[in-house]
Amino acid sequence: MKFVISTKAILGVAFFTTLCLSPVIYAAPPDALAGKAKAQTCFACHGEDGISISPDIPNLAAQPPLSITYQLIQFRGQQRKGGAMEALAAPLSDQDMRDIAAYFASLPAPPAKSGNADQIAKGQQISSTQYCNSCHGPQLQGQKHIARLAGQSKEYLIAQLKNIRSGARIDMDGTMGSAARGLSDDDIDALAAYAASLK
Amino acid sequence: MKYNMKNSALHALMFAAGMVVVSVAGAQAPAAAPASGIPPTWAQGRTADGMNPALAPNPPGISAMPADEIPVSKLKVPAGFKVELWASGMPNGRSMTESPSGTVYVGTRFTGNVYAVVTKDGKREVKTIAKGLHRPNGVAFVNGSLYVAELSRIIRYDNIEQNLDSPPAPVVVFDALPKDEPHGWKFMRLSPDGQYLYFQIGTPANIVVQPVTHATIVRLNLKTNILETVASGVRNSVGMDFQPGSKELWFTNNGRDWAAEDKPGDTLNRLVRPKGMNFGYPFCHQGDFLDPEFGKGRSCEEFDKPVYNLGAHVAALGMRFYNGKQFPADYKGNIFIAEHGSWNKTQRVGYQVVRVVLDSQNKVVKSEPFVTGWLEGDKFWGRPVDVQMLKDGSMLVSDDETGAIFRVSYGK
Repeated sequence: MKFVISTKAILGVAFFTTLCLSPVIYAAPPDALAGKAKAQTCFACHGEDGISISPDIPNLAAQPPLSITYQLIQFRGQQRKGGAMEALAAPLSDQDMRDIAAYFASLPAPPAKSGNADQIAKGQQISSTQYCNSCHGPQLQGQKHIARLAGQSKEYLIAQLKNIRSGARIDMDGTMGSAARGLSDDDIDALAAYAASLK
Repeated sequence: MKYNMKNSALHALMFAAGMVVVSVAGAQAPAAAPASGIPPTWAQGRTADGMNPALAPNPPGISAMPADEIPVSKLKVPAGFKVELWASGMPNGRSMTESPSGTVYVGTRFTGNVYAVVTKDGKREVKTIAKGLHRPNGVAFVNGSLYVAELSRIIRYDNIEQNLDSPPAPVVVFDALPKDEPHGWKFMRLSPDGQYLYFQIGTPANIVVQPVTHATIVRLNLKTNILETVASGVRNSVGMDFQPGSKELWFTNNGRDWAAEDKPGDTLNRLVRPKGMNFGYPFCHQGDFLDPEFGKGRSCEEFDKPVYNLGAHVAALGMRFYNGKQFPADYKGNIFIAEHGSWNKTQRVGYQVVRVVLDSQNKVVKSEPFVTGWLEGDKFWGRPVDVQMLKDGSMLVSDDETGAIFRVSYGK
């Protein structure tokens, strides 16, 4: 009972924050409690706490809600593919997606990952040169429809940057494509190590 | 073809140069230094103080709002006019064209769909006639065929009106266009004589010395399949129309970003010579604003001037002349322009349809808001992209945030 109340309080705060930060006005507000119920299928891989069970699966905890919604919409439309997500997203309505996103967004952020200090420092340098923070935020915490990178699985980040670089993953507006195009494999490893080390 | 290959070679060089610098930077001392090296194309022209994360792009509209949730009552039009929800359920619906039978075709930028809106017995039905296209933003209807401008090619659906429920496979009309993603989506318009498709090839970055193919308006001869440039120095035009009577091409142009919050402006332009006009990009913007970087040693007097400055960052997109009979007489010959609205500006602007009134000399007499209400303080619920005059004299406005089309009518 106590647990339920505190969850409700957390979700309430998250919901409030979500409303305030988004520049877009939606008619039907997202419902994180309903989202938790709708997200049962997600938990097997992404975890009830939004921390994934495997390094090749992304953590969803504390992702900006729109970043989850946007990826789900693109999986449903088969514009983005991978991890059987196209099939899992197929039956979801827009409102389902907003609710699920609100739930994962409300969870505490994943812990910072330790790593090779030199590699992390190199990643920070590249992040600065490439202006990652101008969209992903000062601590790469994500915002609007733009993903949280802080505390994300390093292996997942590496795979996605390589997919964006090769064109295997959809590049929504050309920005990430042009950002990833000039990165070497070593650069990508360093960037991923840096992002994973943030909280 | 040869031309295109040269072009990609040039790009390959540019990217190779960028890569070298990046890896050199990566090998340097690991301390977090100020940004150095060649930034990615999307970041060119930005300075450190323009890297404010609060000014990151707006989330693009990629889903459709349910019809009963669209707050159409918030839209405001002048007295005597009426605005209503006309069609919905078209994720990212953008550019529009009307066929002679009254079907309205709608292109998209992010969802890869093309829609057809059919009116039958007073009811409207939305059909998704194409999926999985690459940025099919431009649509034009020619002799029973729907032409679609994707990012790097023009395709055609023959006998489309008879086959809306099972469209034929498209015929590729022209596929040698540049593949750059930035400003690669197209607005397309059929010339009054039915001979040419006009569309833009936008500049492949915010501000850059572009290849000569880019920052242009071109036209494709439908008989010979020859592509020719009709205007250059046009950063990115996502709206154009031919003036009734004069048949001149008029077009909107989006100004560069990150120079300042209040300049340069988006512009309304007029093609008074069929070829050879240069509107200044990347050297001069809005006819009188030298680029802080590329304008050095240049003069705005070298270039052709816009007709009108629409304001900075309003994102002036679709435009049409009003030549119908339904609106009051003083609306005849006016231009309506959809302003998609700003993103990298602290105080949002645009998010409206404006009316531009010309005198008999084609000088702008005034410009005023015509449809407003999508923007509420610092938040928006919709973003107008294109306007389309229907045969009955009413006007459609597409909105890619709600995936809906609104209709503005007068009287009754």
